[in-house]
Amino acid sequence: MSTLAIAAPAGRRLGISAIVLIILALFVLLVLAGIAFGSTWLPLEKVARVILGGGEKTEKLVVWQLRMPRVAAAGIAGAAIAFSGYLLQRITRNELASPGVLGVVDGAALGVVLFLAIFSNESNALTVPVAWQPLAAAIGALTAISLVFILSGRQSSSAIRLLLFGIAIAAVAKALTTVFMLVGPIYQAAQAARWLAGAVNAISWSEIQIMALCLVPTVIVAAWLAKDLPPADLDDVSSRSIGLNLPVYRIAVFFVAAVLTSIAVAFVGGVGFLGLIAPHLARLLVGRARFAGIVASCLLGAMMLIGADLLVRVAFTPLEVPAGTVTAIVGAPYFLFLLMRKDKTNG
Amino acid sequence: MADVPSRIEVRDLTLMYGHETVLDALSLPIPRGKVTVLAGPNGCGKSTLLRAIRRLHTGQKGQIFLDAVDIASLGAKELARQIGLLAQNPSAPPDMTVEELVRLGRYPHQAMLQPWSEKDGVAVNRAMAGTGVTGLKTRRIGSLSGGQLQRAWIAMVLAQETDVICLDEPVNHLDMAHQLDCLDLVSQLNREDGRTIVLVLHDLNLAARYADQLVFVHEGRVRALGQPEELMKPELLAEVFEVDAAIMTDPVHGRPICIPRGRARAAVQERA
Amino acid sequence: MASTLVMSEAQGWRFGRPQIYAGLVVLLALSMLMSLTLGYKIYSLDQVWMALFAHDGSETAVVIAGLRLPRALIAPLAGAALGMAGVMVQTLSRNRIASPDTLGLNAGASLAVVVASILLGVQSLAGLSLAAAFGAFVTAIVVFGVAASAGGLSPLKIVLVGVTFASLSHAFVEVLLTSNEAQLQQLLFWLSGAFVDRPIALFYNGLPVVVVGTVIGLSLSRALDALQADDSTAAGLGVPLAAVRGLAFVAVALLTGAAVSMAGPVAFVGLVVPHAARRLVGLRHIHQLPAAALFGAVYTTLADVAARFVIYPVEAPVGAITAVVGAIVLLVLLMRRAA
Repeated sequence: MSTLAIAAPAGRRLGISAIVLIILALFVLLVLAGIAFGSTWLPLEKVARVILGGGEKTEKLVVWQLRMPRVAAAGIAGAAIAFSGYLLQRITRNELASPGVLGVVDGAALGVVLFLAIFSNESNALTVPVAWQPLAAAIGALTAISLVFILSGRQSSSAIRLLLFGIAIAAVAKALTTVFMLVGPIYQAAQAARWLAGAVNAISWSEIQIMALCLVPTVIVAAWLAKDLPPADLDDVSSRSIGLNLPVYRIAVFFVAAVLTSIAVAFVGGVGFLGLIAPHLARLLVGRARFAGIVASCLLGAMMLIGADLLVRVAFTPLEVPAGTVTAIVGAPYFLFLLMRKDKTNG
Repeated sequence: MADVPSRIEVRDLTLMYGHETVLDALSLPIPRGKVTVLAGPNGCGKSTLLRAIRRLHTGQKGQIFLDAVDIASLGAKELARQIGLLAQNPSAPPDMTVEELVRLGRYPHQAMLQPWSEKDGVAVNRAMAGTGVTGLKTRRIGSLSGGQLQRAWIAMVLAQETDVICLDEPVNHLDMAHQLDCLDLVSQLNREDGRTIVLVLHDLNLAARYADQLVFVHEGRVRALGQPEELMKPELLAEVFEVDAAIMTDPVHGRPICIPRGRARAAVQERA
Repeated sequence: MASTLVMSEAQGWRFGRPQIYAGLVVLLALSMLMSLTLGYKIYSLDQVWMALFAHDGSETAVVIAGLRLPRALIAPLAGAALGMAGVMVQTLSRNRIASPDTLGLNAGASLAVVVASILLGVQSLAGLSLAAAFGAFVTAIVVFGVAASAGGLSPLKIVLVGVTFASLSHAFVEVLLTSNEAQLQQLLFWLSGAFVDRPIALFYNGLPVVVVGTVIGLSLSRALDALQADDSTAAGLGVPLAAVRGLAFVAVALLTGAAVSMAGPVAFVGLVVPHAARRLVGLRHIHQLPAAALFGAVYTTLADVAARFVIYPVEAPVGAITAVVGAIVLLVLLMRRAA
């Protein structure tokens, strides 16, 4: 917490806490709205009653089995991807970095598509428990980010090179994903295609449990690593001179970020631009303060995915438009806006 | 200077970047067959002026006469046959060969459907011979040393066969020997072919050594112009460059050289 | 020093340009012949000859003239168009990893086809082809505009902008298709790059467009040569930058649009082909463009033949093959830049 104090004077610190609280309040409101809205409108007091353990049978079913899983999955996955994006942007010192741009999302997607292609049987069922899916995603994501690292070689500290190779690796992974989708039997392809675009509509409580179980240790490691982020803002030589082995630390952060994203992607699919924009907005709102930045990033990421899912439910029902398209349509222009601001980046 | 008719006459040239005035109603004669060197502190507008002479800025106001013809009335290719320009940090793909680069200089001489003529080939060969890059012509420019590369670019401008050649800081990033190499080549072009040369140079001593006419540009205006001997005065250097300098005469070339002692006192006081 | 020696040696044993063009033409003829004869069923040269020039109404003749011939014509034409578009895009952006794909032009063309079909009710092949060209043109202008206003056309910026536009286009396509599944089957045709099952009418629609784009490109070849240098130098040589860029965009859009309208987005052809063309004939566009056209034609035709055998007896989509090859080339290019 000491760095927080350094980063922000006392008055500003109070302001930051207030902003984080406001974001938290909005988050709670959005969660409630996510449960209340849908094919039928459920008044907020009924939602509250069901959550507190009461309510009628149909209301219970709608809340606990239909809407809560979507909201929970979207919230957890959104937060994980945003945390990952926050770490990547800090460690590369480049606000254009994100799990998507660095090839992590496409790598994870390739892992999952391969997993689905290998372990499906003729009746379109998995021959192994779905719990293995995040492992496949993580292997894909880690392979992708390792390749990005190895290929950029000695200059892996240069954010620009990392980004270029990330784009290239993402292109390779995308191409291979397409190949396996087209080559694989059609029933998996249809399943994989919907999943690839990023959707939380079919998720179950058991899948959410697995996602949460995988995330807990990862988040602990990530939080432990995050304490060294401030000295990592320096160059390699300077940070080493104050006692941080930055090249090693950088690799550790990259890998944890990749795992965070891959777990989320394994369950909700390739949600685009979340990991880029949530940390960015967080920085606009709370500045460079680290703890507040992480909390705000996670909350904003969760809100974005819950909001995107809510939007496709309300606007497109009964069609199942993937929530990922909404984050892409909102996120892509924002990313372009970031690119167009000349002074902040030097591509 | 009055006895030599001006090749180029810049009149009331004004250029704004947004609200910032870069060139402020600047007027300047550039004499025929002479080497004119534009010098001045960073950001004074000397490079901008050079590009403006070549009419490369949109929104520049004022007139530039080339032999009493307003260049605004000339087409892009026509102008490129009259005035050549070597940009400050020119770039081309590293796998382009030297010959391919030099051939680009013939662009303004070619009509759309006119094939490559013998005259073009002669100009390219002469340009490469004149700059000593003939032996390098199949080399890729990415494999050249800094000095070789600069000569290849000058050859490209020479192949344009223009009477006026503008060079924007041509000796940046070159070591001392190659700086002299490059500027000797430029002054040889001036002496032997009688071409009009306009140079932007950072190094005042090099400027004084190669200039027939030296121009001090300051805050978007011409502060002074004349022969190097007339301009290399301590008061003027203090005002334009904010340096306190001693002026001596170079015993080898007889040109004035300046030896800076430090920042000019007025400037130091102003800062303090 | 060692490396420069190797380079000049490498140039020493280069073939002359006439031999290179002749070789490419021969290769193109051979690959088109392969495209006609090889496949799920293998036909003899006699059968092909008969089907094309003495059509007797037999089943064999129908298959060859109706199924094999269109792809043997469309594949090389689309490849030539994408190859030339790639050359111009790489010159315009001074970026060797640019291509109609990495700049999002293919995606923009696909989106335009979907919009024209679903929202505007365009049904004719010619109308959809026009929409594809228009989409590519608008995307080119917007991507270059955004990248330019992002402070220069650095390779990273322009590719980031292009990739972002591509994902934006994909998202819109996804929404439009989900909300109108009836059209999906018909439009899938335009959204996945392939040469199989294309009506020959597409070839006749695309040919004049490709010819116009080629003529514009060739007439700009000298200005494009000069554009390989920086803007100041090009302007200093008397190149009217804005006019040349604008015209070249039109040419790129026509070529990309024609290719997408005939074959859908066949990935990364425009990235790979210009590199081969420059290797073969050097950097002058009067040679680069024809060499890219020929090499692109050979490349896509052979890829199309290969697609029939990769997972025989099922046919693989040719776009998948070019995507994998292209992605590997992209990596190699990036690594070479690193060296």
